[in-house]
Amino acid sequence: MNPAPAIETEGLTKLYGPHRGIEDVTLALAAGEVFGFLGPNGAGKTTTIRTLLDLIHPSRGSARLFGLDSRRESVAIRARLGNLPGDFGYGRQSSGREALGLLAKLRGIDGFGRADALAERFRADLDRPLGELSRGNRQKVGLILATFHEPELLILDEPTSGLDPLMQQEFLRLIGEERERGCAVFISSHELDEVQRVCDRVGIVREGRLIAVERMVDLLGKARRNVTVRLADADGLESLRGLPGVVNLRIADGEATFTVAGEIDPVVKALASHHVLDLEAVHPSLEEVFLTYYTEEG
Amino acid sequence: MSAQLRALIAAHLSDRRRSVLAWGLPLGLMSAFIVAIFPSVEDSISKVVDKYPSGLKEAFGIGQLSNVEQYLHAEMLSLIVPLALGYLAVRAVASGLAGASESGRLDVLLSAPVSRRRICAAGFLATGIELAAVLAVSWALTMLGSVLSGAGLAAGPAAAGFAGVWPLGLLFAGLGIVVCGWTLRTTIVTGAVAGVLVSMYVVDLIGKLDPSLSGVRYASVFKYYGNAIEDGIEPLAFVGVTAVATLLAFAGSWLIDRRDISA
Repeated sequence: MNPAPAIETEGLTKLYGPHRGIEDVTLALAAGEVFGFLGPNGAGKTTTIRTLLDLIHPSRGSARLFGLDSRRESVAIRARLGNLPGDFGYGRQSSGREALGLLAKLRGIDGFGRADALAERFRADLDRPLGELSRGNRQKVGLILATFHEPELLILDEPTSGLDPLMQQEFLRLIGEERERGCAVFISSHELDEVQRVCDRVGIVREGRLIAVERMVDLLGKARRNVTVRLADADGLESLRGLPGVVNLRIADGEATFTVAGEIDPVVKALASHHVLDLEAVHPSLEEVFLTYYTEEG
Repeated sequence: MSAQLRALIAAHLSDRRRSVLAWGLPLGLMSAFIVAIFPSVEDSISKVVDKYPSGLKEAFGIGQLSNVEQYLHAEMLSLIVPLALGYLAVRAVASGLAGASESGRLDVLLSAPVSRRRICAAGFLATGIELAAVLAVSWALTMLGSVLSGAGLAAGPAAAGFAGVWPLGLLFAGLGIVVCGWTLRTTIVTGAVAGVLVSMYVVDLIGKLDPSLSGVRYASVFKYYGNAIEDGIEPLAFVGVTAVATLLAFAGSWLIDRRDISA
């Protein structure tokens, strides 16, 4: 029997009086899957996460985590997950180690699990009061609090905000290791580059609605590529005209630049009969994909 | 008591460890000073008080000031200590719930497998312990002042006097949790409950000053506060107010369980 999905929502909706929160969010996240939840600030990412965690109650629809109802069985659910809230805070006077001590007791864990190893890895100071730490260093402590007990599901709200590039890389490696361990990861972000590197699938949320859920490879495959090609016989570039998917073709000085929408295979086959001096196909950043989506759906 | 509850109470008390001295020291030193000066003002104060209208004396719980216990009650235990403890109680629960929500700590705690009701229960019980500790420090310093000055304050009645404040303080802790069920803003919770605290004192005072309005005193917890340093602790009032405080805490935790905790 397949295990229950780590997360499964059906028409999840949260309305704040006349104000929109999220509306009809339906998604599923399998065990061991890394899912990126993308959208600009105010799109509804944090509202979705807080509803999954039972911090806020849905107006309608349902959410199940590990097959358990997010509302009625939230305590049992939280025993199996780790969460990094957006804009992590815990109080200025407490140290990370004090927070860890309390969380370990609440989870019924003897000791701090892998917290010290993670602290060394992220160069986090667990002994200074959190109020004396920079935002990035507080965020490291928050990551350790979310992951020290090796949960089955990680819910991370804007996890790399405040982290320097080296620590962002280390964080992405950690997420990869968590996936290897079988942990499902739900990452909300507007840092599109990090999602591109680590997620199996992405959901794009806009104005409270989930407008698309795509496998990362499909999303990138659907996207346009910007191609530049130089041939030994410049006349051969004319063979690109009229090829399916080729748009915005410009030929000058023996070089062609164009955009390929969809499969690149016809282009490769057309060029194969010529002596290619140079070829560059720029993969679009997820940001470009994301903006394209927003533009199209809008 | 569950391990989770013990851990939450210990964390709450650790966060508020400074408040025991911050509140216990001034209240204790003030009480010690009152006790210490009693031998030197005893004669003159009795003459002055004898001239007060009887209604006024009853309203402010002054009565006779012929011994140091009566003087301590009139100067400290009838007004300053109960108001201070009531305010401390609401500050304690407000910081443990509304303050935790504002700092993000509540989000972190609720990432763990612990119910909101347990967090509320821990806040309420920890506040009860904090109040008891503040009262114990105050009593100890008061007794020290008595010993040093030779005022002759009786330890048992003095302990009863301070202990009698405890359920009153606890009631405002329970009320604080109820208000947290509506809003998780520390300033609003503290301000609203402090307003109720002062209002209850004024209502009780009005009821004492005007016998035709004595019925309004039932709306105030101060009606059940009494004068434990002279009369001993009234068990029914002590248990009754503690029970109402506990019921309020239950009601508050039910409200908090049902509300959204916004970012």
